[in-house]
Amino acid sequence: MTPRPASWLAAVVIVCVVLMACRPGPSARGQNFSGASVRVHWRRELSDTNRFVLEVVGLDMAALRQFQDRKPVPWPRLLAAYADTGDVRVDVELPPMVGTYRVQSGILRFEPGYPLQPGIQYRAVLHPDQLPGGRSSLVTATFKLPAQFSNPGTVVSRIYPSTEVLPENLLKFYVQFSGPMQRGHIYEHIHLRNASGRDVDLPFLEIDEELWNPSRTRLTLFIDPGRIKRGVRPLEEVGSALQEGQRYKLVIDSAWRDGAGSPLRETFQKEFRVGPANREAIDPTQWRIDPPKKGTRAALQLTFPKPMDHALAQRLILVADPAGRLMVGDIGLGDEERQWSFIPSQSWRGGHYQLVVQTTLEDLAGNNVGKPFEVDLLEPVQQRLSNSSVRVPFEVR
Amino acid sequence: MKSFIRLIHAASVSLSIAAATTHAVDWTAGMKEGNPGLRSMGPLAFGPEGILFVADTRGAAVVAIATADTVPAAGNRPVKVDGINQKIAGLLGTMADQILIEDLAVNPISHNAYLAISRGRGPDAISVLVRVKSDGQPEIIPLDRVKFSRGALPDAPAEGVAGPGNRPGNQRQESVTDIAFYENRLLMAGLSNEEFASTLRAIPFPFESVGRGTSVEIFHGAHGKFETRSPVRTFVAFKVRNEPHLLAAYTCTPLVEFSMDELKPGAKIQGKTIAELGNRNRPIDMIVYHKDGKDFLLLANTSRGIMKIRTDQIERTESITTPVKAERQGLPYETIATWQGIEQLDSLDAMHALVVRRGDGGSLNLESLDLP
Repeated sequence: MTPRPASWLAAVVIVCVVLMACRPGPSARGQNFSGASVRVHWRRELSDTNRFVLEVVGLDMAALRQFQDRKPVPWPRLLAAYADTGDVRVDVELPPMVGTYRVQSGILRFEPGYPLQPGIQYRAVLHPDQLPGGRSSLVTATFKLPAQFSNPGTVVSRIYPSTEVLPENLLKFYVQFSGPMQRGHIYEHIHLRNASGRDVDLPFLEIDEELWNPSRTRLTLFIDPGRIKRGVRPLEEVGSALQEGQRYKLVIDSAWRDGAGSPLRETFQKEFRVGPANREAIDPTQWRIDPPKKGTRAALQLTFPKPMDHALAQRLILVADPAGRLMVGDIGLGDEERQWSFIPSQSWRGGHYQLVVQTTLEDLAGNNVGKPFEVDLLEPVQQRLSNSSVRVPFEVR
Repeated sequence: MKSFIRLIHAASVSLSIAAATTHAVDWTAGMKEGNPGLRSMGPLAFGPEGILFVADTRGAAVVAIATADTVPAAGNRPVKVDGINQKIAGLLGTMADQILIEDLAVNPISHNAYLAISRGRGPDAISVLVRVKSDGQPEIIPLDRVKFSRGALPDAPAEGVAGPGNRPGNQRQESVTDIAFYENRLLMAGLSNEEFASTLRAIPFPFESVGRGTSVEIFHGAHGKFETRSPVRTFVAFKVRNEPHLLAAYTCTPLVEFSMDELKPGAKIQGKTIAELGNRNRPIDMIVYHKDGKDFLLLANTSRGIMKIRTDQIERTESITTPVKAERQGLPYETIATWQGIEQLDSLDAMHALVVRRGDGGSLNLESLDLP
């Protein structure tokens, strides 16, 4: 790669071509410049209208062929494109953009390796003097797609758990957005605020990789486990992040940008009160089961004595038919994650069905089936569940 | 995150141990040529013969790429690249605030630095592999025609597939916090965005047709008498009593030793906590080095700076099983005050570390530092 020569600042010839992104057309070009009939312009790619390429017309083809005899061909010395930062001191140090060069039908083309981005000024610099017999003056063309904010309406659509009373040893929140979000440095936009309006210091487990779902519309926010357990040293020193009897707000700052680069439409707040810690394992035998009637596609309803984890309750509770096969159907959660329903794709038959509950199911405090979040090492090991699932029978009549 | 594993022996660091056990293996067996189709680029680690491992969490795989970067480095030259994020942004035609440096790994043969880069921060971000040679100029490594093999992440559900019960989409995604290569296995620490369970996996390499690997749930006793499931943030492999172990750093900040032989499918292993390094802190990267006849760990942290940890008492250290009252306990360490703003750390050569650190004005610099 070739460092940009500082001499471009003294370029004697500058051509500015500004294309509007919304302007249709296969090839837009601004006023032409003819410095010994050489023209540099950006144009929209015919085959992919989201891509732009750089073209140079009017070069001496014989000289260009001679230039191409050099191996490897030092293309960026002849033609280079830069993403300007707006700070000249920075810009003079920047390398040129990567891309591919082609000569076709008397035109030198540069195809950027990565798509141009709205709001950034791109500068093309041609050094004709790199060609045998070429003139010493530079030719420069700048180009900028207008900044676009295509989806300014992204909001926080929901925060789970839904309930307004959360256990003191809450393990996690899910923040659901209405559209994809940007990642990177997200924790500066997330605040846990106490009743006096002060931010709780470092309440969350900050993970560089950030725990998103594949479509980047849901963020998992773990409370730092060092702030939620008995006997843990930070807990002794600074207290738990959430304290029983207190009120808090989880605040998602509107400065956080969505996938298109727009800030959120509004700041979101979830207010809640903190209740006692829950250190009891999940016991599916305590669930109320309302079986449907046979011959119908009515919902099987479960009622939990305490709310379950929103994501896991939809994934880790299944239904097996009398033959032991897992059933297909639609799962729903209601009553602030205390109710679970299953509507089968085919009618219920009479007989003995089973709930199949994975032991990795969690409640709001991370307690599993048969195993609380914290296990006292002094307790007999036999109390721990080793199976990966438990089965709870119910009958459909 | 760390290049080829350094092994601590009671007496000496022994890169040669790993080398001695690996010479007869065809590491590129089963590789094909083409584009590995990375959907994301997370932690990096070098294996033997210039093979670079890349965790692709969105693709639910770990990918081994034969970089062919196998010419030994000629001497040790200091590295100092100011504004590495701006220079990479320039190459990729974007601004520095749209560049995320996901990880740094140094090729232990060539001493070239490799950076996993995200161009963009939105869902359409593009993953790019960047190399910085001794001339300090970053270059893009094209991945459209490389020798590679893939190991599927064990138990990772296929994206977009609903199982029995028409579960609403598949929101689960595994995150990888660190990877490292040891002898013939790729070791991987991670956690999921739903179940709160930290896992360590050992995936045989060369990858088998479907790298089932092993999955281990980790518990440690650092927090009083209670087991915890806090995620491993960074780890190194090392030898204690001539047996391979992992040394893992957790949030708030226990150092825990695990026997590698216990990494078996489905096993639950309990680690031995050998140091408590202070609370309200998050470890970033850890390396092992040898100096003045002794082995040290160097641990970069978010809020407690760089810790130089002695290992000469590692075999005699008692497991910490009661709540720690002191500021620190277990293996002794000193804080290296002059190393500020470290965001990435790896070994460069026997005398130097390579870091990405935040400099004046918020720019990120790539630079070599003398090992303390």
